[in-house]
Amino acid sequence: MSAGVRVRRAASPPPSLPQAAPRFPNPRHHDHLDADERRAAASRGYVPGRKSHAPGGVNLTSAEWKLLGVVVLIAFGVRLFRLSRPDSVVFDEVHFGKFASKYIKSSYFVDVHPPLAKLLITLAGFLSGYDGNFDFKDIAKVYENVPYVAMRLVPALLGVLTVPISYLTLRALDCRATTALMASLFITFENGMITQSRHILLDSPLIFFTALTVLLWTGFCNEDKHQPFTEGWWTWLALTGLSLGAVVSCKWVGLFTIATIGFGTIKQLWILLGDLRVPPRLWIKHFIARAICLILVPILFYMFMFWIHFAILTGSGDGDGFMSSEFQHTLRGRHMADTYADVAIGSTITIRHVNTQGGYLHSHPHNYPTGSQQQQITLYPHRDSNNDWRIVNGTDHGNPYTDWDVDPISYVNINTRVKLRHISTEKSLHSHDFRPPVSDVDFQQEVSAYGMPNFAGDANDDWIVEIVKGDPKDTESWKRIKTLKTHFRLRHALTGCYLFSHKTKLPDWAYEQQEVTCNKNAVMANSLWYVETSEHPNCKFPENAPRANYKKPGFFKKFLELQQVMWITNAGLTDRHNFDSRPDAWPRIRRGINFWVKDHRQIYLLGNPMVWWLSSAAVFSYIAVRGFLILRAQRGYRDFESTKVVKYDTLCGFLFVGWALHYLPFYLMNRQLFLHHYFPALYFSILLACSVFDLVTSTLRPRVRLQIAAVLLIIAVWNYVYFSPLVYGNPWTKAKCRSAQWFKTWDFSWYVRHSAYLCLC
Amino acid sequence: MSGPQDVGIRQRARGAPGGRASQAQSPISEPDDDHLAAYRARDGEGWSIEHVLETREASVGIVGVLTLLAFALRFYKINHPDQVVFDEVHFGKFAAHYIQREYYFDVHPPLTKLLFGLAGWFVGFDGTFKFESIGDSYTDAHVPYVGMRALPAMFGSLTIPVVYAIMKESGYSNVIAAFSACLILFDNAHIAQSRLILLDAPLIFFMSLTIYSYIRYRKLRYLEFSPAWWGWLLATGTFMACTWSSKVNGVLTVATIGIAVLIDLWDILDIKKGYSIEYFWKHFVARAVSLIALPITLYLLFFYIHLSVLTYSGPGDTFMSPAFQETLRDNELLMNSQEIRYYDHITIKHKDTKVFLHSHPERYPLKYDDGRISSQGQQVTGYAHDDLNNHWQIIPTKALPETGRGRIVRHEDIIQLLHVNTQTLLLTHDVASPTMPTNEEVTTWPKDDHSRYNDTLFHLRLVDANPGGSWKTKSGHFKLIHVPTKVALWTFPGQLPDWAFNQQEVNGKKEIAEKSTIWYADDILATEDGEVKSADEIGHTEPKKMNFFKKFGELQILMLQHNAGLIASHPYASGPFNWPFLVSGISFWTQNEGQKQIYLTGNLLGWLACTFGVAIFVGILGADLLARRRGVDPIPLPVRNRLWNSTGFFLLVWAVHYFPFYLMGRQLFLHHYLPSHLASALVAGSVLHFVLSETINYPISLRGPSTRPQPPQKADIGMKGPVVVAVFAVFMFGLFVYIAPLTYGTPGLTGEQVNARRLLNTWTLHFAAKKTDHV
Repeated sequence: MSAGVRVRRAASPPPSLPQAAPRFPNPRHHDHLDADERRAAASRGYVPGRKSHAPGGVNLTSAEWKLLGVVVLIAFGVRLFRLSRPDSVVFDEVHFGKFASKYIKSSYFVDVHPPLAKLLITLAGFLSGYDGNFDFKDIAKVYENVPYVAMRLVPALLGVLTVPISYLTLRALDCRATTALMASLFITFENGMITQSRHILLDSPLIFFTALTVLLWTGFCNEDKHQPFTEGWWTWLALTGLSLGAVVSCKWVGLFTIATIGFGTIKQLWILLGDLRVPPRLWIKHFIARAICLILVPILFYMFMFWIHFAILTGSGDGDGFMSSEFQHTLRGRHMADTYADVAIGSTITIRHVNTQGGYLHSHPHNYPTGSQQQQITLYPHRDSNNDWRIVNGTDHGNPYTDWDVDPISYVNINTRVKLRHISTEKSLHSHDFRPPVSDVDFQQEVSAYGMPNFAGDANDDWIVEIVKGDPKDTESWKRIKTLKTHFRLRHALTGCYLFSHKTKLPDWAYEQQEVTCNKNAVMANSLWYVETSEHPNCKFPENAPRANYKKPGFFKKFLELQQVMWITNAGLTDRHNFDSRPDAWPRIRRGINFWVKDHRQIYLLGNPMVWWLSSAAVFSYIAVRGFLILRAQRGYRDFESTKVVKYDTLCGFLFVGWALHYLPFYLMNRQLFLHHYFPALYFSILLACSVFDLVTSTLRPRVRLQIAAVLLIIAVWNYVYFSPLVYGNPWTKAKCRSAQWFKTWDFSWYVRHSAYLCLC
Repeated sequence: MSGPQDVGIRQRARGAPGGRASQAQSPISEPDDDHLAAYRARDGEGWSIEHVLETREASVGIVGVLTLLAFALRFYKINHPDQVVFDEVHFGKFAAHYIQREYYFDVHPPLTKLLFGLAGWFVGFDGTFKFESIGDSYTDAHVPYVGMRALPAMFGSLTIPVVYAIMKESGYSNVIAAFSACLILFDNAHIAQSRLILLDAPLIFFMSLTIYSYIRYRKLRYLEFSPAWWGWLLATGTFMACTWSSKVNGVLTVATIGIAVLIDLWDILDIKKGYSIEYFWKHFVARAVSLIALPITLYLLFFYIHLSVLTYSGPGDTFMSPAFQETLRDNELLMNSQEIRYYDHITIKHKDTKVFLHSHPERYPLKYDDGRISSQGQQVTGYAHDDLNNHWQIIPTKALPETGRGRIVRHEDIIQLLHVNTQTLLLTHDVASPTMPTNEEVTTWPKDDHSRYNDTLFHLRLVDANPGGSWKTKSGHFKLIHVPTKVALWTFPGQLPDWAFNQQEVNGKKEIAEKSTIWYADDILATEDGEVKSADEIGHTEPKKMNFFKKFGELQILMLQHNAGLIASHPYASGPFNWPFLVSGISFWTQNEGQKQIYLTGNLLGWLACTFGVAIFVGILGADLLARRRGVDPIPLPVRNRLWNSTGFFLLVWAVHYFPFYLMGRQLFLHHYLPSHLASALVAGSVLHFVLSETINYPISLRGPSTRPQPPQKADIGMKGPVVVAVFAVFMFGLFVYIAPLTYGTPGLTGEQVNARRLLNTWTLHFAAKKTDHV
């Protein structure tokens, strides 16, 4: 007993020893307590004063700031090391580099991703004097006259910035400094994130903005807990909104971030709603503030990005074909001259298909290899003299192909029976009882060009005009065909089928142009046509005859149309890729992605296995423990009354929801998916792993905690070093490469072996 | 589903907030079991119509009338049309296969099809008519189709009283129950679907029975483990199994009951209910036995019957593995499969694309269009027709005994294939194939030149073979793996250019696990000693045995794969979003003569009422949640419990039968919504009740020995209830009659009449009159 008493007595330091240095040499302000002290203080009934509230609840000591500076320096070193190597195109730089060239040349393109990240990369390229003349054609093509280092710096710097953000986020979430340090170093040494941020790719900006959003949102929540509607409160909220806009303007995956924040907001509002001390008016104020900052601001930001996008891309380019004719009309080089507004018997016209972007009704002097073997009719997207048709009267008893010249002008009305003469080959649009070459079904008929000069043709050349839709402002256009305004169908007079086209390509023999058929069960939308240009030879139209042109679409119309096109293109990306993977493979890094191979060197996207598996383990242990706790609660255990459980449950719950919302929706997607789609979710899971660490070590002494963290970090750094040749494309011995292939599915060494094999040959 | 105890407490504590509720309660709080008497006493008039309608006799009368009407509407002119309509093509055919006992393959489980087979057999159908295409005449072929159609019509008719009973058991008044039943009774879609040989009517019937049994079972929850409780629990399991075995969609019913049971068990686990954990396990085991073990057993049983009936070879053979096929009598594999020996000449066919492995003296061009270089070796292609150039000889790479079974080619042997006509050996090497840079080129090499010997070695890997299994024609599916580079011989439906006569490309694929690398030996053309056995000589025609569970497992996996694979577009397929609003229907059948057609579409009025009901209900729930969050209690507790627990269950049925379709990539049709529609009719009934009156019949669950007695309440929807329902039913019936020609396919309609019946302009009816535009 007496021994125990003696131990408890405070030992006075032996006077010979020097005074132990204080843990923090600069005494902090009285109210600055770290998490442990704060908790200890709270248990004594001490509440930090209002003065102690740091903006956003990020409460860092000056020593921590210095520490953070060191971490950022390390991150700089790790991510910018030999950024200029390889000096050739890597993986998707093929696309994103190309898009930068197109921005600089302002030639229109369509991509499935929103423009922000691409604009940033372009800006870097532009400022360093890139002229946009490099084509980024193939992976491993050597750069010539491209400031690719400057362009790579954008994602690389954003990648570096992600590191301090993760530190601040965890600190704002009330974790210990050790925990935050561990998270930031885990992210620094995450091979996959490093690889991703060293090239001209969109994922690094995406991760950066996701991380930024989480930080800002956490700050806002802290402010909200402290006191709502202060200046700081509004700032954090508005910044969160802007950052949300930025995430979704990098990639649509950013919508998952919006969902995460939305989830948090709804939870906040729901709790607020249950607080009966909050009057409805105040609640509505809360609601509206969030609606403005978290819905309206991101939308405006997103639209502003597209406004810049359109402002830069004013010229015609290879994305034209995706857009409607009105849209194309706004592009330089696709501008159409005014055309006559009327269509009369004898007019030379071009006819476009309404529903698809297939283009103009077209014929060329090549025959079908199947069916009737007559001349082909297709849809062709570009302007060409082979798109010109003369519309003539089908009921004429004389020679309709010449009579129009002598007869007085008569317009093409509803139910006019017409023939369409292809001007350059002097054949008429014709249909008959043959099956079309591709859509070989019994309700479809082939359409061909048939006839010869000086031959009036037969009744199978006759079509009847059915007007379906006109311009609401122009009653004339409902009664007779007017250029651009009237949507009409062409009914084949003898068989009753409708001229029809759909998104089906003809084979090589028709240059993969779009198929045109005559369909007996035609869907209305696909059998609608309109006249784009009309001209009357021999100046029969008076000089002052009305002219028409496309109405230039405003920004909103262009914006909405592009969104639709992006959505369709995105959904259509269902082809298999050599290195695509399904979501179930991601948390266990079943397989990486081969980015670049040249001269026995390789860049291969692979995570840091230790970090990766630790974070996945954290996620699954959270699920298990939380499930167990729910069961216990149902059986009457009062776990959720402990403040510690509640604190860590809120913290881990938030990060888990972030992980789940950035990961699970991928299961619903049918498009091709890649390992790098997991990175935003990985960010959340790394933070989650560190919070779990915070919880597990919460009863340990700070020194022991630091030691455990150090061991984990050493393993992570060792992993990083071990796989770093794949990150930087450094040379690697064959033996090391083979021994690094821990799993058969990590197929990097295959390339090394394979190329070696080729050399031996 | 909070316990009855707190109901009582809360009520007493609340006092009488609204005049209505207390009024309804006060007269019946007397210990008087005869509610009718209480009502009479209060109202002072004994024989008002609304009270007569609520008597037991009236209920019997109503259900009788509804059932009679249901039979009348569903059997009316059931013999018309006397032609194959829509999916009768499939399900009629399957019935014929059962009668002929020929094996077929389908994505749906067999119960309903077995019943069709049984019905066909009962009415004397011999199974020779094969339902080849829509519009084939039954009369000409003397098919007793009326008997077969009567089966789903009967199920469809019997669904009506079940719906009525569900509502009755859930505590709604006769009038409300009749309302829900009418929504189904006069629905054109339900009628059209149940008058034809289709799976949906039985599916819906079993589904409604499952719901009914589950509700009966739930009402007995205070009498747990009593015989009646067990009876209804087992009935739920049985009907659930029937639903699931009728059509794949039935899985959704299983999911519904599963979710409901989980919620129920979660409640039992709640410590506040005061049950021990042993008690919980007892409940858990009871449900596991009745709702998991029993249904699975039944499901297996139906498949067992299915497989024991279908013992002859039929059109489904080719879907199955060779081992499975050999269990079928008269199967081609059984008849023609023979062991292959070394030096036999054989033809080799690709399993998926059915082309022969072919080679001819022409060579690959040195340079392809995209600038890549070839080896200029002899072409090896896939060719669909018989040709001498398809013959290959198997060359051993090991010493063979002179005679005997040692000369048989076996699993895991390393072989060479000699192209007989050009006397060259099949070879592949690390040169890119003509169209795919990632795959290896396949070519041949002169047999006397041994410089490339290693590249001509192929590893014969039989699929699902035992070690040392012999290679047989037809049944011996195999992969040919190149020994040095580990690629599999592969072909795909891609044509080579003119220089290979547009034949199919054959190359070496690295993904050797893929199923498309499977080939089989089609035939033996010559053997070493020159004799080829004919089919009769092979002899062993007795089918082999195979374990039922193995067969079942194989069939299940195939069914799932094919179901997911049904993604081809169909002109009448529609997205789930359209269904509740009846945006489009399905054209089942048309006949130009007389302009007759059957077009599957619902009774617009009824569907909109149902959808509206669901929407209102969701709104009520949302409003209730919000109000309670703000501390306001707008709905009396018993009524809220009824809304959440009973109507909430109907909503669950609706949601579980509806939303999963959004996730399905396969082609979807309007009739996939019919189970959900039935559930929404139940919701609509409850919502109508809620709108009409704040009173409910309470309690409806049977009292257990330990339950405290509750003051009973009686629903009172007044006179406006019957009036509203009657008026609605009349209008619905009117609309039903109006579009009946599209449902029954008779009488024919003129163009104008068709136009008039196109209630929504998205309905694509046939024979519509062309718009006569004035010029």
